[in-house]
Amino acid sequence: MAVTVEDARERFSPCSQQFVRFLRNNASIVLIYGIILLVVGIAAVFNENFRSPSNLMNIMRQSIILGLIAIGQSVVILTGGMDMTVAQVARIAGLTVATIFAAQQSNPALIVPLILLGLLIGTVLGGLTGILITQTHANPFIITFGIASILRGVNLAISTTPIRGIPKPYLQIYEAKIGIIPVNVIVMALIWIAAYLFTTRTRNGRALYAVGGSERVARLSAVRYNRTLILAYVFSAFCAAIAGLFLLARTGVGDPSAAEGMDFQSIVAVALGGISLYGGKGSIIGTLGGVLLLAALSNVFNLLQVNIYYQQLFLGLIVLIAVAAYKSPRSAA
Amino acid sequence: MQLSHIEKAFGGIHALADVSFDLSAGEIHALVGENGAGKSTLIKIITGAYTPDSGKIEIDGITYNSLHPSQARDLGIAAVYQEFNLLPELSVAENISLGKQPLGRNGLIDLKSRASLAYELLERLGAQANIDPNELVKYLTVGEQQIVEIAKALAINARILIMDEPSAVLPSRDLDRLFTIIRALRDEGRGIIYISHRLNEIFELADRVTVLKDGHTMATKEVFETDNSELVHLLVGREMTDMYPPRDNTPGEILLDVHDMCVDGVVFDVNFNVKAGEVLGLAGLGGSGRTTVCRALVGLGEVRSGEIMYMGKPAPMMPAAAAKVGMVLIPEDRKTHGLVLNQTMRFNLALPNLSQFINLGVLNISREKDAVLKAIDEVQINPPSPDLSTENLSGGNQQKVVVGKWLLANPKLVIFDEPTRGIDVGAKAEIYLRIRELTRQGVGVIMASSELPELIGMSDRILVFHEGRLMDEISRDDFSEETIMRLATGTEIEEASA
Repeated sequence: MAVTVEDARERFSPCSQQFVRFLRNNASIVLIYGIILLVVGIAAVFNENFRSPSNLMNIMRQSIILGLIAIGQSVVILTGGMDMTVAQVARIAGLTVATIFAAQQSNPALIVPLILLGLLIGTVLGGLTGILITQTHANPFIITFGIASILRGVNLAISTTPIRGIPKPYLQIYEAKIGIIPVNVIVMALIWIAAYLFTTRTRNGRALYAVGGSERVARLSAVRYNRTLILAYVFSAFCAAIAGLFLLARTGVGDPSAAEGMDFQSIVAVALGGISLYGGKGSIIGTLGGVLLLAALSNVFNLLQVNIYYQQLFLGLIVLIAVAAYKSPRSAA
Repeated sequence: MQLSHIEKAFGGIHALADVSFDLSAGEIHALVGENGAGKSTLIKIITGAYTPDSGKIEIDGITYNSLHPSQARDLGIAAVYQEFNLLPELSVAENISLGKQPLGRNGLIDLKSRASLAYELLERLGAQANIDPNELVKYLTVGEQQIVEIAKALAINARILIMDEPSAVLPSRDLDRLFTIIRALRDEGRGIIYISHRLNEIFELADRVTVLKDGHTMATKEVFETDNSELVHLLVGREMTDMYPPRDNTPGEILLDVHDMCVDGVVFDVNFNVKAGEVLGLAGLGGSGRTTVCRALVGLGEVRSGEIMYMGKPAPMMPAAAAKVGMVLIPEDRKTHGLVLNQTMRFNLALPNLSQFINLGVLNISREKDAVLKAIDEVQINPPSPDLSTENLSGGNQQKVVVGKWLLANPKLVIFDEPTRGIDVGAKAEIYLRIRELTRQGVGVIMASSELPELIGMSDRILVFHEGRLMDEISRDDFSEETIMRLATGTEIEEASA
């Protein structure tokens, strides 16, 4: 056998090999958590409000909604797609539940059935999106953009003003704590762990990467392409629906502008976390980092009383920098 | 042109160590070497894509330390790669003048002179009758696209033309035309660097040949002074006595039975069967339906009519379901159909076999790793590191990964489409060994190939296709390149009808 370049590289670093390889394969993750430590570190040193435990917990809580949406978005982006419906799905889940509560005199007995209804709405919408994409073979971005536009219209038809009448116990979903840790942080952590195991340790999870890497290869490698894709959009919309239900509990009113901008922000978080926007590469651990970084930055901005418009501008800059930093090495050559 | 003592290292590893190479005007100089020997690196240095670490490049008596891509172009260096650099949605004329648009006085592109330039260049290549300059490139055959690439090189007045395995993508009937063109270009006084894995082409075409191995120049020889076995010896460092391992088993019962299969208006009324433990060769020119048949068997492409029975039951006709019952296709193009390139060897090897490692819905990573290591060992991938990205592997290793992933699935019928295209001699021999081993275990093998020696060396029976029809079945005793070619080109029909 000829001595190949890879071969020689292999022999080149025998002792530090494992570590070097870890860094090489997980560079984006190391980078994002490094930046978080840097931002949090600097902010903690210079601002005493920032380093208070209640503020740090606040950052965690503020990242819940985006965190949930971004997990779903990660899974879709791994398949090489993009889900522009997430904000509208979160909104329609919250609005539907709020409308029924308002019509039923805030009956607390409806809490569990309505939560299930909200999740069902998300699941069904995700299924429809997935089926449309697999059947039309059109660009997922355009398909989901179209669906998002339809949902936006439906949401406005449901209500253009905030809906009151959410029962008090429902608000506990957001308020409740076990010890000092809010229940919603625990829920998010559980979903993250589940999603991590799903993407790394299950057959369908592997299939996501295969589909994102190459549709043709995936089909030829006994991967069920359509099922994998539909599953990804169902998961994404399901996560968005959970986010919508949490959001309803946080604000206490059915808000027709709820989750505004979450579609874009979730993509920013995914891109920051190092998942390739072309699909097939990256880890959802990175996305969690992206979410935490955005939450920490937004917290710092609020403490420094930076105008919200500048925050928007900053977000745009971040995504451009992230995309440039992670551009595929082949296009660099 | 003269390259001397070129060195190039990537991260401490020498891809090229002290390579010297020269090319005179009016000669065809062949460059051969296994995958990973440094051919591509050398080409990239000549075209200016890479900067050498040391060494000199001398062109027309002027010495350069390195070339810039645009500088290389101005010096008249052009390369035709295996993957063409053509824009499929543009016309032939637009593609030809892409590097240098003829401008009119008003500063806009002069359409008339662009068309006449294209026509003139195609005429010089003897292709003006076949290729319309206004046709979109996507409607051309591979052979015609290659001619457009050469015309593009002529448009910038290339004096040094590098052809990277031009024959690998070409159906054999277009090969003669290509050779004629290359010879004509040589006779015009251009220097041509011709890269190929097929040694017989070198003897047919080249004036001199240089062998690269592991980044070193092994030798440069006048073609008439050397022979096949000397080149092979230089290439692999050992004598290849017999590439094809002998058969040592007898075929068993019928695994797959195909009756009157028609596909998509490309393949008509095909009947054949495959027995356990045999190699059934599929021969035919490009576009004869060979690949279509392979794909149709696992459910890719629309089967219009006919019956396909696999182990007594109708075949599943879906890639995933076919794999489940042990029928797998190792596709023609490993890069676009065989591998998820941005993923590791381990990911790819495990992909079709995940159900083997699933326990209560969860992947058992250590079991996966054991299986992957076993596969790497079985197909002898070197280096045996499962976490390497498949993107950076040599063609031979990539093909071994594709073969390995399906061996892990314990198949009963393996369909190889061009199992050794574009891979080096050593890797080829190893693939042949694997195929033999499969048949020894009673696996049925279908092998479609455009390389007649490998079909003849490996098959028990050969089916020859011509324009979508099965011409004949040839049994082992009657194998000869001549018989196959006559059937594949349809010569017999013409004679009969004449």
